[in-house]
Formats: sequence, structure tokens, C-alpha cells
Amino acid sequence: MFGAFRFTSPLNGGLLWKIPWRLSRFQKLRQRRRLRAVDSVVSTLDEALAKQGETLKALEIWKNEMPTEAEMLPKDKYTMFDRKEKRYRKGIHKLPKWTRVSQRVNPPGY
Amino acid sequence: MSASAYFRITLHRSAIGLPQRTRGVLMALGLRRRQQTVFHPVEPQFAGMIFKVKELVRVETVDKPLSKAELKEERKPDPGFYLESRAAVPTPVVEESAEVRL
Repeated sequence: MFGAFRFTSPLNGGLLWKIPWRLSRFQKLRQRRRLRAVDSVVSTLDEALAKQGETLKALEIWKNEMPTEAEMLPKDKYTMFDRKEKRYRKGIHKLPKWTRVSQRVNPPGY
Repeated sequence: MSASAYFRITLHRSAIGLPQRTRGVLMALGLRRRQQTVFHPVEPQFAGMIFKVKELVRVETVDKPLSKAELKEERKPDPGFYLESRAAVPTPVVEESAEVRL
């Protein structure tokens, strides 16, 4: 029952990864903060360039296509599209390096 | 408005495990370690570089770049005390002997 030879799933079957299927509310809070941090960087760049009368193509595309944190649906903040998943959604924490990459939009209808 | 504005860029998140291109952008910006701060003029060229690494950095706009010493001074915690300056010493009366020594 106890000790080194207890029958637990990782010891019996070998590999068992315990990644929860959804984010905790604290992970969600930090995710929102990260989204807002990226938004603030984008707005800082935009304002600084606007003062100089300059534009940046990549920045314009981002502003047109990407929703800000406030505009995003909770569904898009914490989950992402995956064609292999049941109901086509998986937690965003399954995305490699998910805290340091931007993943905001999903295919329409999913 | 002001012709000489600068981006104050601080590397907040490490680029370990990120693509070589992302790390190359950080190198080009002069960011080698976390919490390092660099200054670059407000130009589309630098804005584009910052935009590439927007998830990793914190950016502000400032009027002039700070020197290394000034950045260090910013980080210094409040010592919790201050030194009273010494009361002014009354100027000694110039005597003949003093003049002789000079």
C-alpha cells in the first residue's frame, strides 16, 4: 500500500503526465495580465510612432486583426482550436511556450 | 512633438527555448539578460524590432536615454537615513604667520 512498491498509476503503467485539462483561476488571472501587457506594448509603440508621424505595417495589421484583452471572449483567452480534440477545443496551456507567444484568434465558427 | 524621443526597453521574459530569430532580435536590440534596460530612438525600424519581441519586453517612451550610472541609481533602495550636512565652519582670520607659510 505504502512505500516504494505502492501501486500508483505512474509506477504501474510508466508514463503518466498530469497536466490538468483546464487552467486554474490563478493561471487565468496571469494569462489576462500577460495579454494586457502585450496590449500596452502595442499601444506604446503606436502612440510613439503616431507622434513622429510614422506608421508600421506589422503594427497596423495587428491592430486591425487582433482583439485586445477586453474585446476577447473568455473562450479565446483560455482555450484554442485543435482539430484533433473533442469539440475542437483544448486548453491554451497545451500550446508550447504558451506564456511567451501570442495566440488570440481562432477559426471562425469554432 | 519632440524630435528626440526614445524607447526604454526592458527585457522582462527570457527567450530561452524560443526560435533563433526571436533571440536574434533581442541580440540586435542589445538585450542579453533579463531586467536589462536599453534605449533606442523612436523610429519604425526599432518599433518593428520591439514588435517582434512584444511578449518578452516592457516598453516606455522617454525623452532622453539614461546612463548606466543613472539606471543603477534608480535601482538603489532607499537607505532609510540621510546625512545632515555639517554646520558651516567660521572662516579663520587670516594672520600674518599664515601668509608667511604660504
